[in-house]
Amino acid sequence: MIPMFANLNVLRTAIRCPQTFSMIRLISTNSLTKGQLPFSYSLNGPKFVKYTRDHEWIAAHEDGVAFIGITKYASDSLGDATYIELPEPNSEIEKGESMGSVESVKSASEIYQPVNGEILEVNTALENKPQLINEDPLGLGWIAKMRVADLKDIEQGEDLLSLEQYEESLKHDDEE
Amino acid sequence: MFRPLLISSNNVMKQGALRYLRRLHENAIPNSKRKENDGEFQDLNEMYSDMFTPNQGTQHQNDGPSVKSEIDELNAELSSMNNFNFEKLSCEKLQQITLKDGKFILRSLSINPYYNLALEDYIFRNTPIDIKDEEKFQSQRLLFYINDKCAVIGKNQTIWKELYLGNLIKKGFEVLRRLSGGGAVVHDLGNVNYSFLTSRDKFKTSFFNELLVKSMSQIDRCSSVTLNKRGDITYMGKKCSGSAFKIARGKAYHHGTMLVSANLSSFHGLLKPDHVNGIEWKCNSVDSVRSEITNIPLSSPQEFIDLCIEGFQREFSSEDQEEIPIYYCDEESATNSQIKETMKTLEDDHWKYFSGPKFTLTLESNQHYVSVEKGLVVQSNNPLLIGKSFKEVAETEPFKTKL
Repeated sequence: MIPMFANLNVLRTAIRCPQTFSMIRLISTNSLTKGQLPFSYSLNGPKFVKYTRDHEWIAAHEDGVAFIGITKYASDSLGDATYIELPEPNSEIEKGESMGSVESVKSASEIYQPVNGEILEVNTALENKPQLINEDPLGLGWIAKMRVADLKDIEQGEDLLSLEQYEESLKHDDEE
Repeated sequence: MFRPLLISSNNVMKQGALRYLRRLHENAIPNSKRKENDGEFQDLNEMYSDMFTPNQGTQHQNDGPSVKSEIDELNAELSSMNNFNFEKLSCEKLQQITLKDGKFILRSLSINPYYNLALEDYIFRNTPIDIKDEEKFQSQRLLFYINDKCAVIGKNQTIWKELYLGNLIKKGFEVLRRLSGGGAVVHDLGNVNYSFLTSRDKFKTSFFNELLVKSMSQIDRCSSVTLNKRGDITYMGKKCSGSAFKIARGKAYHHGTMLVSANLSSFHGLLKPDHVNGIEWKCNSVDSVRSEITNIPLSSPQEFIDLCIEGFQREFSSEDQEEIPIYYCDEESATNSQIKETMKTLEDDHWKYFSGPKFTLTLESNQHYVSVEKGLVVQSNNPLLIGKSFKEVAETEPFKTKL
């Protein structure tokens, strides 16, 4: 069954408060935005796109460059972002270390490095437009570009989920 | 409703201990006012109220016979008593209860803001959660602490933009940057900090303040305590509580302040207004939302804490389960290496002045400007300033008088 939304505002509320509209999964997407850099960095798109249970995504390309951001689910549940704390370029960050945070209406939400690697660049557009995290978290709102230590960490990383697994884990969250 | 915390938390209190406490109370605070006796625990209640209530009138004129030393004295005597269950957690016990699944309430008796924030962070980080199965999370925790005079800014704020540092130092306020988001607040001993910890999954920013308002609404005096649009607790349209949140690793906490008997007039001139004449800030740090503040009409910080505990117990203890345990600790009894390390981080200038958002500050129609990143001047019309720490630059003219 596809839910009917009387008007855009209801839809907006539904997107921002997914817990009240569990059907929202049908229209929300946690897949990478096709036209944007995290996807289009290499011609055929990233080799792997994986997700963490902390709601980060990582899109790794053939040459070992990867983009990191937070998922649509995360940005919806956080609400309007007011400040994005970005990592330091050229810093080596170990898997599981905090690499930044998203602040939205008084909440600081930590972002963790999904795999070992070095930060090459950060998305400075977020400094002046933190709302990109809400508008396009899997595209324009990418947080960092990094060089991963080993692509295998992403391919075989036990705690990294595929899109299907990630979506499945969200459904699980909603059942309660 | 004015039940003594200790009695409500466990029923093993001995009459002898009670008499002892009464005597202690009479000796320690000779001038304390006596209310008409409305029950055998009245004195005990008053003692706890007095312990954490600044002595209005004398407290803020000078730092004279301070409440702090009375608290220390009382704590020292209390901890020397073994005949009733008012035990402060040791490091080992703190670790044990933190790492084990289960709910608890913890009251820090320390008034050192660095210790209290570090203790909160320790419990937050170490509370167990199965990130693959967050629904199973049953380890909600509730902390209370009261800080000595201090101003606290949010993690993503600019300290010079929010605070009159000179006034704060002059008036003996400590200055801190906390680990959670949100805006700047001022504390004193008449303010209670509460901190509710749960799983990210179950976390809702409005939840705990709603519970607090519900708990307080049982009291007539608090019937006009409500939530405003931003989810803050207000009384007669003025804010009496500020909130901030932190989310990490499948868990979240909501911590907030509650002004009960704070010396509000002493807070004037500590937080900066939105705009100060002659200064222009260009930065994307998080703004504080300026609000008029007031104390909540409760008789003491302890009364607020008791109400919170009742609300928490009602919400989270199930019929067949034992009551949620209440623990006490302080800096002396329970500072482990993790807490010590966090305290060091919080105290360090690196965290206070050399972290946080970048900004550009312009004085008096572009005559002087500095761009600052990670606390260092990276650009300025005065080349001599480049590379210097802004903390130093802010201490010199022409910035000093303007900041």
